[in-house]
Amino acid sequence: MAEVLLKNVVKKYGKVEAVKSLNLRCKDKEFLVLLGPSGCGKSSTLRMIAGLESISSGDITIAGAKVNQTHPSKRDIAMVFETYALYPHKTVFDNMAYPLRIRKMPKSEIKTRVERAAEILEIVPMLERYPRQLSGGQKQRVAIGRAIVRDPKVFLMDEPISHLDAKLRGHMRGELKHLHEELNQTFIYVSHDQTEAMSMADRIAVMNLGELQQFDTPEKIFNEPVNEFVAGFVGDPPMNFLPCTLVTGEKQWSVEFKQFIIEVPDRVKNLTQKAGAQLSGRHGVTLGIRPDNVLLKHERTKPGDLAGEIYITEPLGSYMIVDVEIGGERIKVRADISFPGRSKDPIFLELDGDHMHLFDAGTSRSLIHQSNGKG
Amino acid sequence: MPKPGRILKWLGLAVFFLWTVTPIVFMISASFKGTSDIFKLPPLGDWGGIFNLLFFFDASLVQFESIFHDGSFFSHLLTSIAATGLSVLISVPAGLAAAYALSRANIPGKKHLYFWVITTRMAPPIAVMIPLYVLWRSIGALHTLPGLVLAYVTFNLPFAIWLLRGFMDSIPRELEEAAYVDGKGRIGAFMEIIFPLIRPGVGATVILCSMFAWNDYLFALILGGRGAKTLPVGISELASATQIHWGQIMAGGLVMILPMVILGLAIRKSLVTGLTMGAMRG
Repeated sequence: MAEVLLKNVVKKYGKVEAVKSLNLRCKDKEFLVLLGPSGCGKSSTLRMIAGLESISSGDITIAGAKVNQTHPSKRDIAMVFETYALYPHKTVFDNMAYPLRIRKMPKSEIKTRVERAAEILEIVPMLERYPRQLSGGQKQRVAIGRAIVRDPKVFLMDEPISHLDAKLRGHMRGELKHLHEELNQTFIYVSHDQTEAMSMADRIAVMNLGELQQFDTPEKIFNEPVNEFVAGFVGDPPMNFLPCTLVTGEKQWSVEFKQFIIEVPDRVKNLTQKAGAQLSGRHGVTLGIRPDNVLLKHERTKPGDLAGEIYITEPLGSYMIVDVEIGGERIKVRADISFPGRSKDPIFLELDGDHMHLFDAGTSRSLIHQSNGKG
Repeated sequence: MPKPGRILKWLGLAVFFLWTVTPIVFMISASFKGTSDIFKLPPLGDWGGIFNLLFFFDASLVQFESIFHDGSFFSHLLTSIAATGLSVLISVPAGLAAAYALSRANIPGKKHLYFWVITTRMAPPIAVMIPLYVLWRSIGALHTLPGLVLAYVTFNLPFAIWLLRGFMDSIPRELEEAAYVDGKGRIGAFMEIIFPLIRPGVGATVILCSMFAWNDYLFALILGGRGAKTLPVGISELASATQIHWGQIMAGGLVMILPMVILGLAIRKSLVTGLTMGAMRG
């Protein structure tokens, strides 16, 4: 059992609150990703769990034991650093064997474990080399190797693959997920890359400005973002936002954007009412729609279609991103690679109403999806 | 045809080599000669004769016999070794501890503290000699070996702190943190991770601190006095008002530079830098 629990955890650097009253429960054997832009407090959070950073207030427990004052060496955690932090004066073998030697493990056992980890990570031929003789990707594997030779309660990873080139990063995402399945251990992983988070996590904790925004499965984070920040941070290309006015009628709700009027489907209306939003008359909202949920057409076929003009097209091999200008706003649409269209061409957009998101213009909170109990 | 720049470089090096090595060669040569041989000159205009006189002569150990004859030279040598050794043994470990604290800990006013440490080295020793003399006399440290060691530590410690802190700062914090996570405590991480990495710095500090104490004349003359007479002072006394014992001075000089040469050679291996390169990403 290695559940990690954060209760009202605060981290202050002087007067700056880097982490604001964070509550988080990472379940045993879960792959949890702390996701957010730089400076959002995700790394500070991980370092507090590791014990490398003191906690200003609150409690952290690992496997039921409070560790607020426990030195990192006594927390039984393994960590992979963003900079790899390999010991330069030790060979790859000795780097990986170091945590085991500290635990006074018999030599034969150390050898077995290091060799097994090296096999998993495909670094057997490098065992006698020094870190300076390795490439970035190899160093990163050694850093992971040093963590997995042990049997710690929790694995902590601080952007371990963010400095690899794109191809290797894609490869390592799969490898890390596989490793998690194989080791069947608790992983807490820090990333600023939503692709990493979406592809690997069991659950994602999205953070911004020191605050937890949403904590849920990748699916829910993607489909039911609770605020504009989460909606915009997760997804590539990101969600489009249009400043609109929500008009709530007796029967029919609609969203007004400039001269266009978009009908709000009953499903969205019901969800909004269920979410408990007190709305009447006209209400300032931000309409969110993902690039996948917009259909490009050369002719207007429905009254709600928006008229715009192609700004630029970005062919990406198997699909294409089309940037469209409507009413002074620019939105991205994902289209088939065969889509014919050039800059300045007039174009019509059909929004998939069932996939629209509505955010309060004042609070940026979703009117449709409410935050579940955090943690 | 080698490039002119290359020729110039080698020419410069050759001049520098002669400039540095000639006095040492002269000293070695003279210390193995009888007193009358030292002052032999070649006939006027015979430049090759200089070379012959420097390298071809009847070697004798008479100068060494005469300096070691009465035992005082030997005791000066021991005093020098003791004063240098003890001051280094105190300055370097204490400097390491202070440098570690200044590099890693969050001490309020750390910057000012560090600057204050450095200021002690800004004034030349001669400027503080009179106050030090009064101070040393009042605590009874004048003309004693511990007093002399204390004086050397006073000057070596700030230097050691300054030098070692630079090396300490160059070691990424993550290496220590990785050691913590791997299960090592603070001291263990320092001994097994940081120390091996800053060993070149420690070696350099040992050499520079040793040289300061070993070569010092002023402190030894004024604070050490009769009670703790070191080699530089002892050798200087070979030149008296009535006579200058050139042969003995040369032999004494040779004996004096030997320990530093040996120390340099012994530490050279650990001076190899570049170990930290490539441990981190990039």
